[in-house]
Amino acid sequence: MSAVNHPLPGVVVDVRDLLLEIKGRCILDVPSLTVRHGERVALIGPNGAGKSSLLKALGGFVSASQGRIAVLGRDVTGVGSKAMSAAQWRALRAEIGQVMQGLHLVARLSALENVVLGALARPGAMPLWRSWLRCYPESLLREARQALSDLGLEHRMDTRADRLSGGERQKVSLARLRLQRPKLLLADEPTSALDPAAAQQACDALVALAADATLLTVVHDTELLPRLADRVIGLKEGRLVFDAPLKTLSPDLLKNLYETGDPADGCHSNPRTNLPLALPLRPRGFPASAGRCTA
Amino acid sequence: MQPSATFGTRPWLPRGRLGFFTLVLAYAGLVLACLLTLLAAVDLSWGRAPWHNLLKTVSEFAHPSFLDLWWGPERLEYRSDDGTLLRVENRQHVEAQFLAGLGRATWTTFQIATLGSLLAAVMALPLGLLSARNLSAPAWASRTASTLLDTLRAIHTLVFGLVLVGIVGLGPTAGILAIALHSMGTYGKLYAESIETIDMGAVDAVRATGASPSQVFFSAVWPSVLPQFVSNHLYVWEFNIRDSTILGLIGAGGLGLLISEAVSLFQWSRLATIILVVIALVMAFDALSRRIRKALL
Repeated sequence: MSAVNHPLPGVVVDVRDLLLEIKGRCILDVPSLTVRHGERVALIGPNGAGKSSLLKALGGFVSASQGRIAVLGRDVTGVGSKAMSAAQWRALRAEIGQVMQGLHLVARLSALENVVLGALARPGAMPLWRSWLRCYPESLLREARQALSDLGLEHRMDTRADRLSGGERQKVSLARLRLQRPKLLLADEPTSALDPAAAQQACDALVALAADATLLTVVHDTELLPRLADRVIGLKEGRLVFDAPLKTLSPDLLKNLYETGDPADGCHSNPRTNLPLALPLRPRGFPASAGRCTA
Repeated sequence: MQPSATFGTRPWLPRGRLGFFTLVLAYAGLVLACLLTLLAAVDLSWGRAPWHNLLKTVSEFAHPSFLDLWWGPERLEYRSDDGTLLRVENRQHVEAQFLAGLGRATWTTFQIATLGSLLAAVMALPLGLLSARNLSAPAWASRTASTLLDTLRAIHTLVFGLVLVGIVGLGPTAGILAIALHSMGTYGKLYAESIETIDMGAVDAVRATGASPSQVFFSAVWPSVLPQFVSNHLYVWEFNIRDSTILGLIGAGGLGLLISEAVSLFQWSRLATIILVVIALVMAFDALSRRIRKALL
């Protein structure tokens, strides 16, 4: 608990001995992971590797089965636990910016209103009744308009969110994050709905947003890594396969990450819990991962 | 979620295609049982002269009484069997009076439906919010709310009306309350279903900005469900207009009183007029509400 009560200076994410099980299947098994303030981290790996689950666990949306997760100096291991009050959870959520996979905007509100929603939890941004009646102060509206026009959406501000294209929705959720001013940004495939040019633009916007924050991104397109990250973490079958600076990343490493292992010699249960793994496969050529699994 | 749990606890139940076939078989058995017991009791008869009666009724319905306003005889003489003059009436005059009464009764019916619906819509709102499964209300509150809604929906408006006439006396008050109590159940169910169809991803996204529950509700839930709530309201309101036409049968005011009068006196042509008014009222309201709904969604 020491890391939680006395967070190391500059440590934004501190994961120790994390084990995440969902419905009897081991999804994540991370012995240790530390992210410092200002780092830009990309999580890569094949489908089902546990990238999104790791992000959800960091955002406090799923409970860890074992181990501890500290985010921004607070313990988010047990989601339903009484360790943190609802107000403390909300304060933490306000500091964590999320870009979710499904591009969820409130369909009936305009793009502009959806952006203003980012500032709901900002202390002193508006009295409660204004947020209830959706009658937002002019200063916030101005800020939201600015955020939207910086992303090239000035002509779509009053369009209802369900009439925006996928790319436009993506930009609206990025603009919302700008009003939220988070200290930690968790982006789950922020470019999934975009064409290559728009994807690069969105990545640049995301990095600009994270200028004085920390950025964790799940990406599939390795071409985008240089724009998004200075540190790359490879995940496979719920385990960290590598954790390396972008500069030292070799094509071989990436190729191995996405290569399917041989099911015959894979381990089928986790030695710590004897629960089946989400994907009973063992990657070949990664002793770090193979060593933890001795079935 | 529920069915798999049921299958899990009852492994002897047939599943898949066989299961559906068993279900159809059980249904067919039930229908046969209903039919055969009725036949066995010789209760399933068409009456003495169905065709004659049908023709007679149709011919009387084909001449709705409001036509007398223009073409009715000005001197209609009622005579007894031996030819004595009993009464003379001006059909046009009498019909005009009837239509005036019909207008007043229609307005009463509309009042009952409108006020009852509004009362129900407002009272059902908290219950609907509580019983929606995706808003994470406490389990006991949610169960209480949905049980209450189910109970209210199970009791027919007429039954509520009969009880309420005994409590608040004859007149539209009983009708309004009867409509309100029964349609509360309908409103609550429709509200809860509307809420359950909203995009929870959007709600979670707003929650993820650190917004408080009330802010999440008014920013993400309310704007998503309001158009559907209005649409539900128009739908139930229209339904209640139809429903409140029979409330007069039990003395709760409105068109039903005229209907029961016409039926007891075998005045089918008057009943035809009343039914035409009801049809016109419902159709006009439906056309209007459909436009409003289209504009909203």
